[in-house]
Amino acid sequence: MACLPDHKILAYLDDEITSIEQSLIRDHLLICPGCRQKADRYAQLHKILAQPVNSEPPAWLVPQIMKRIYAETPHYTAIAALIAASFIFFVTWIYIYFDFSSSSLIQALRLTSDSTASWLVNIIKTISVIYTFVQAAFKASHAFLSMLLNTLPGTTLVIAFVLTFSGLLLFATKRWLLKKAGAVKK
Amino acid sequence: MIVDEDQVLIKKTLQGEKKAFEELMRKYEKRIFSFVIRMVRNEEVAIDLTQDFFIKIFTVLDKYNFEFKFSTWAYRICYNLVIDHIRKNQSQVNSLDDDSISSKEMLSSENVIRHDGFNNLSQEETRLYIWQMVENIPTKFRELILLRYVQELKYEEIAEITELPVGTIKNRIFKAKEILKKEMEKDGLPA
Repeated sequence: MACLPDHKILAYLDDEITSIEQSLIRDHLLICPGCRQKADRYAQLHKILAQPVNSEPPAWLVPQIMKRIYAETPHYTAIAALIAASFIFFVTWIYIYFDFSSSSLIQALRLTSDSTASWLVNIIKTISVIYTFVQAAFKASHAFLSMLLNTLPGTTLVIAFVLTFSGLLLFATKRWLLKKAGAVKK
Repeated sequence: MIVDEDQVLIKKTLQGEKKAFEELMRKYEKRIFSFVIRMVRNEEVAIDLTQDFFIKIFTVLDKYNFEFKFSTWAYRICYNLVIDHIRKNQSQVNSLDDDSISSKEMLSSENVIRHDGFNNLSQEETRLYIWQMVENIPTKFRELILLRYVQELKYEEIAEITELPVGTIKNRIFKAKEILKKEMEKDGLPA
């Protein structure tokens, strides 16, 4: 048998030949030192490749990916909280706008407070006080704004305030987003 | 249909269990990172690509077909991500596309970090050196060596991932081994 080509030796080491070929190659390797040396080299290489040097990923990689994945996922509790907040805001606005504190329903409830459970009366009274306070603050700020907007310096002041406040809000949002991105990139 | 460990974790992830996806990542992070870093040869890029890979896996997890093995599906996504990155990177395009490159050119002195006194190297040092040489062979050979030995995939699985015929894969792996063997001999590595 002539000397073995490299691909035959590799096929032999990978068990990718028939049993007849295997025994023929085995016999040849016993009598041919050149092919045996070549086979030894490939066997050594095969052994080394079968033991790869794995690179360790940084320990923070998985927690960071988790943070990134789940921050990008819509948070249902946050959405529910937003809906609830919008609802409260809407109710407050209606209460203030239509001045429900003097409505017949509230008045009737106040008059029948003796026959209503005390805890419910207390809740209604607390809400009523808060609403009355918010309503007063709303009316005062409305009057103050109307007074300011009637004069040129007052209007300028209001515009300047709105612009500054918007700018600060924008800056804070951008800073928060950058901070969030910074947590993702190394 | 037999559901394996990975598929159980996928089902739990799809049901909203965060821990399940974390477990899946922990299982694959080392092998994925090892593959990516050897392909791109840059730690920072490898970290970014590994992150992109897991995020991509998470976003398309609902499209995973439970009839197929998760690892093959995931490696295919990883492979495409890495190859896309290499193709976009001009400096690596040459080695990826050059089919006619000779063994000598593949391991030219500029590409391989060489040391003296190989005959005195320990088995561990030889292993590290060979794997360092793997990083310097052209992409088309390197990717197959990595898929075969780092990811421990069968030829048929590699064919599915790379969309190459099994014969081509075997031939390229053979050529890669031939190059590595020649280098070992040239540098007098212990047999």
